[in-house]
Formats: sequence, C-alpha cells, structure tokens
Amino acid sequence: MKIHTKILNFATILTIMACHVIPAKAAGSESLDFLRSTGKIYAVVAVIAIIFIGIVIFLFRLDNKLTKLENQIKNEQ
Amino acid sequence: MKGFWWKIMGAAIFLYVLIGGMTVPLKPGITAVSPNHTYTGRQAEFLIEGYNTRFVSGGRSRVWLKMDSTHALAHAVAEAVDENHLKASFSLPATFPSEDQTIPLTLIIDNQEDGVFVQPNAVFLTRDTTDTGPSAEAWLQGRISDLHYPAGIKFPYRSILNETIRNTFFHVALWFAMFILLIAGVYHAVCYIRTHDIDHDTRSSAYTRVALLYGILGLITGSVWARFTWDTFWTQDIKLNMTAIAMLIYLAYLLLRTSTEDVDKRARLSAAYNIFAFVALIPLVFVIPRLTDSLHPGNGGNPALGGEDLDNTLRLFFYPSILALTLLGLWMSSLLTRYERLRYKWIFKS
Repeated sequence: MKIHTKILNFATILTIMACHVIPAKAAGSESLDFLRSTGKIYAVVAVIAIIFIGIVIFLFRLDNKLTKLENQIKNEQ
Repeated sequence: MKGFWWKIMGAAIFLYVLIGGMTVPLKPGITAVSPNHTYTGRQAEFLIEGYNTRFVSGGRSRVWLKMDSTHALAHAVAEAVDENHLKASFSLPATFPSEDQTIPLTLIIDNQEDGVFVQPNAVFLTRDTTDTGPSAEAWLQGRISDLHYPAGIKFPYRSILNETIRNTFFHVALWFAMFILLIAGVYHAVCYIRTHDIDHDTRSSAYTRVALLYGILGLITGSVWARFTWDTFWTQDIKLNMTAIAMLIYLAYLLLRTSTEDVDKRARLSAAYNIFAFVALIPLVFVIPRLTDSLHPGNGGNPALGGEDLDNTLRLFFYPSILALTLLGLWMSSLLTRYERLRYKWIFKS
C-alpha cells in the first residue's frame, strides 16, 4: 500500500514536471534551431549518434557481466 | 575466419549504408514562393526559393503555373538571382476555367542541370472583382514539354522531411530488424516448449533482449525525428502510443525473467510470455494503426510505404540497411547467448 502511494506520488510529480518543462522548452528552443539548418541534416546525425550510443551501452553492459563472471570463475579456482 | 563472414558482411553493409545514405544528394526542391497568393488579371512577379538548385549554372530555367492536367499557363523565362533564388514574372489571365473563387496552382521548374521539379499548391489564385467568368482561354497555351531528366541517383525531396528522409535507413530499418529478431526469439520460445532444451531459452531471451534494445532506440530516434518534422517529441499519433505499449509488454518480459531463480521455471514462464507478447505486438503495431488516422506512412488514410516516401533510390540503401542491422543484431545476440552458456556451464559445474 505504502509503496503504491510512493510510486503514484512520483508519477504525479513527473507528470507535473513534464507538463511545465516541455512546453517551456518548446517555446524557447532557439538552441535546437541549428538542427534545422541546412535541410535538417543534423537530425539525421542525431539519429545515427543515438543508435551508436545504444549499441555502445549494450557492449559496456555485456563487458561488465563478462568481467563479473570471469572474476567468479577465477575466485573459484 | 570461419563463422566470421556474416559479421563482417553486416558491418560492411552498414558502412555502405552510412556512406551512401549520407552522401547521395537530394533532388532539387522548392522551399518557398512569395507572394504565394495573388489575383487574376495582374502582373505578378514571384520570388522562388529553391533547395539544392542550380539556377545560375543550370542555364535557362523555365517556369510553369499549372492548374490541372489540361490547363497551364505558357511558361515564363525566369531570371536567376543566385543559385537558390529565381524570379519569374507572369501576366495572369483575367479569369480561369473553374467555378471556385480560389484555385491552387502547381509550380513547375525545369532547367538543364536540375531537371524538372514541382511544388504542388505553391500559389493560390483568387478571382478578382473585374473577373468576367470562367473561361479556358490563355490556360491552354502552356505546353509542358522538352523536360530534362538528368542522370545519376538522387533521393526525393519532400517538403517537411528535407534531408531527414535519410532517417528511413536508420529509424525505419531499425524497426524492421527488430521485428526479424523478435521472430527469431519467438521461434526459439516455441522450440523450447517443444523440446525443453534450455539452450533454446537462452537463445530466445538473447534475441528478444537485442530486439528490445532496437525497439527502444527506435522510439528515441523516432522522437528526435518527430521533433524536427512534426515539431514535437511525442504526438498523439496512434502508432507511437501502440508501439510504446508493445515495448512495455516486452519490458515486462525482462522483469519476468528476473523474478525467479529456478532455471526451468523461468524458461517455461518466459517462453509462454514471449509467445503472448509477440501475438499482442502484431495487432498493436500492424493492425490498430491502420484502422485510424496516423502520421506514419502506410497507416490510416495514407498509402503504404512507397511512392515518394520510398522510391527506388531509397530502396538501394533501405533494404541493405535492414539486412545490416539484422546481422549486427544477430551478432550482438550471439554474444549474449555465448555469455549465458558460459554462465550456465559454470553454475551447473559448481
């Protein structure tokens, strides 16, 4: 019961924050306008960068898991 | 090198998509026409702003204003201001052959270097008060002929998309690759239920995990793309929300797998859940968005992905991109599978 209330509160706070922050950002988004220049090519660059970062995060996590397993096996021997 | 060829192939094809997809130029297009509204019987000078155009070096540009397939004004010889700006003067006839008060006109430009390109609804023409009534005269003189079609590959120019049409190779291909990986995952889930071989469970979960990574990346990249085309990170678009729900269903799959330590129980539960999630995914992503209106091509009132949104020049990179992302996904999931096998080997030994 208690943890449910906590989650609900957290969700409410997040929603309120999103409602305030996102329109404010959209109104004053000159900093994002460079992404529109030269036919919005930077939006493509951003998409490729996101895919690259996602794959790198995957590799990092796998690397961590492997290191843990290696250490476990090493300790066993 | 044995067993490595398909990994190298995946990387090489993705490199081809990256280089080709980013360096092939866009076709010329028209970004703005001013004024975009005028009246009959006047002398009008339009300033046309182009994208990727060569109005100066392309030689003489001819400009037409077209009403429909049989009615067009005689072409005007335009004067280039610079490579991307063109001035075209028309003496507009006193009337037009339509009952409407205002008609949209299509602008057509042709020159030697750029070839022919069009902008529908570029200029709106309203009947002036001195208008004498509908007549087709003066609208039958425009013969749109001797057009240029330059050789070489260029991606289509779409008015809102501009250069972001290249995201088709990354964002859209990511979803296709995700779907192929999910099919592999559900195939091994079925295999597990039939054979109770734990290795099928390992492979099924590896494919599903990588597919989920692709799905989340697809949502984020789509959000970024939407910001610069639809002007918002998240819209009420049915496909977005339904895909988000599908992703949540698959996130629950990961939670389910951490819920029990018993290997056989976990394998049975997750195999059954995987099949359920896949069955839920199909109506959520492929059926419901087609029943209502959607901003995505191939849904609602839109035609299927094709035409100008996916022409043959885009296909040259789109299909290889799906193949490359699928191979890279299989590579990543094979790494996960090998890790899990090692872990099981170690757990069961000790």
